[in-house]
Amino acid sequence: MTEERVPCVEGLFSEKDGVATLHGSRCTGCGTPYFPKSEACHNPDCSESKMEDADFGGKGVLWSYSVADFPPPPPHIYDEPFTPYAMGVVDMECGLRLIGQLVDKAEDVKVDANVELLIDTLYHKDGKAFTSWKFKQL
Amino acid sequence: MQEVAVLGVGMHRFGKTGDAIVGTKSVKALCQHAVTAALKDAGVEWKQIQAVSAASSRFSGGKGWGLNGNDVVEDMGSTGIPVYNLSAGCAAGGNAFNIGYSLVAGGIHDMVLVVGGEVMPKGMIQTSGVEEATDPEFLRQRCIGMPGPSFWSTLARRRMFEYGTTEEQFSQVAVKARKNSVHNPYARFQKEITLEDVMNSPYVSNPLRLFQICPVSNGAAAVVICSKERAKQFTSKPVMVASSTVATMTFDDMLPRGLADPITDCPNLHTEAQNAVTRAFEKSGIAPGDVSFTELQDNTCYYELAFPEEWGLCQAGESESLLEAGETTPTGRMPINPSGGFVSFGEATTAMGVFQIAELTWQLRGEAGGRQVPDAKVGLAQTLGLGGNATAAILTR
Repeated sequence: MTEERVPCVEGLFSEKDGVATLHGSRCTGCGTPYFPKSEACHNPDCSESKMEDADFGGKGVLWSYSVADFPPPPPHIYDEPFTPYAMGVVDMECGLRLIGQLVDKAEDVKVDANVELLIDTLYHKDGKAFTSWKFKQL
Repeated sequence: MQEVAVLGVGMHRFGKTGDAIVGTKSVKALCQHAVTAALKDAGVEWKQIQAVSAASSRFSGGKGWGLNGNDVVEDMGSTGIPVYNLSAGCAAGGNAFNIGYSLVAGGIHDMVLVVGGEVMPKGMIQTSGVEEATDPEFLRQRCIGMPGPSFWSTLARRRMFEYGTTEEQFSQVAVKARKNSVHNPYARFQKEITLEDVMNSPYVSNPLRLFQICPVSNGAAAVVICSKERAKQFTSKPVMVASSTVATMTFDDMLPRGLADPITDCPNLHTEAQNAVTRAFEKSGIAPGDVSFTELQDNTCYYELAFPEEWGLCQAGESESLLEAGETTPTGRMPINPSGGFVSFGEATTAMGVFQIAELTWQLRGEAGGRQVPDAKVGLAQTLGLGGNATAAILTR
């Protein structure tokens, strides 16, 4: 029996057939991408500021990363016992500099590595697996 | 515009809840101590204060609404004066100083108290506690789990990648900071540490270790400012405010702040700080090369290497060699944080911008003892806070 997978925050992202999608928005005036969705365009040179829903995902390059050697305070939730994880800042091909955990072991992570987006388990609660977006080195 | 003078400064030594320094003192008690010291230093009576510009805490005091200035006025005596409570994350103290400066410079009030104090909750700074998908900090911590130290560590790692900075060099910054703190009676930590001590301290978030990151602290700082004309009644040699600025980040900023930011070609990661510092230079007519010493916001040792380059105090990639040559010590060419900095004080968030003004004043008066920058003429102070807030101030003698 496969466990039920639930996004840790509803509506922020989804997974289908193994493909991870982030649900954000884009300004129709200047093309600026936003994740999560933005109420307005932050570009001072854009007079349009008309936002439409846009999906993001795919690949990128790891700009930098760090390691959570200690459990972060609430509202972060993790499975006991705490296992240190790496988190990355990724310059995505879709035009976003995006942060997320890495599924790779911290000692294997390299700055400038090519990565792809996926959905993975963050913690378990009430018999369900709560998920978030993460990166995997290619 | 009136020229603005710093007449008096005061602090309560920084400490940690329960220790011998601050014990269980409330933020009101810490502020009252700092304000009383600043008034005494200025030679000013409480009833002469015409307005209060206070940093708002979201952690303690202020009746739960950030009304920390009102607490101060009540405890010092309810004289009915106007109070301005300012919120700007960790930049709030610098923001409060700027509003106080603006009130005096604009001729609205001519004896203003600026104050910031904090009693911090234990551990890493947490989010507001509101579990709402509209709160970017909630999303960041729930979906990833990237508290302050991990965020700073990504910046430190990037610098290591770009400039070949080593963990030992980050550690050398901490050793230098704590060497200065030995001579600062207001620092929480006043003992020297060795390179081995730093390198043996545990990773909080690899590559940054415990002694390379500032903890949270309790403490308070206060300053009394007035016009140059008014200051003549109290002192023949006041420290002057050459400029005080507030700025926010610009759209092209590439610091990873929320979940994601649009990619631009902006090379600067802290545009709010660069904007504030650049404007402070422009408004004062003082050039980076004229600065005798700098007090900057070193939540982690990384900032002591990155900020001087982003502001033109030195060339990009030059900070490590200046550090190793001893040029960032009080007697070097580019002294950074002679006070010991956040790494030696810990961060009592909203007090920090005011603490920096106190340190600049002591240095410019030549009263900084063993941490004195020889012949200090121009001091630069800078803060940075959540939301893309930053402040800068340049003081002269």
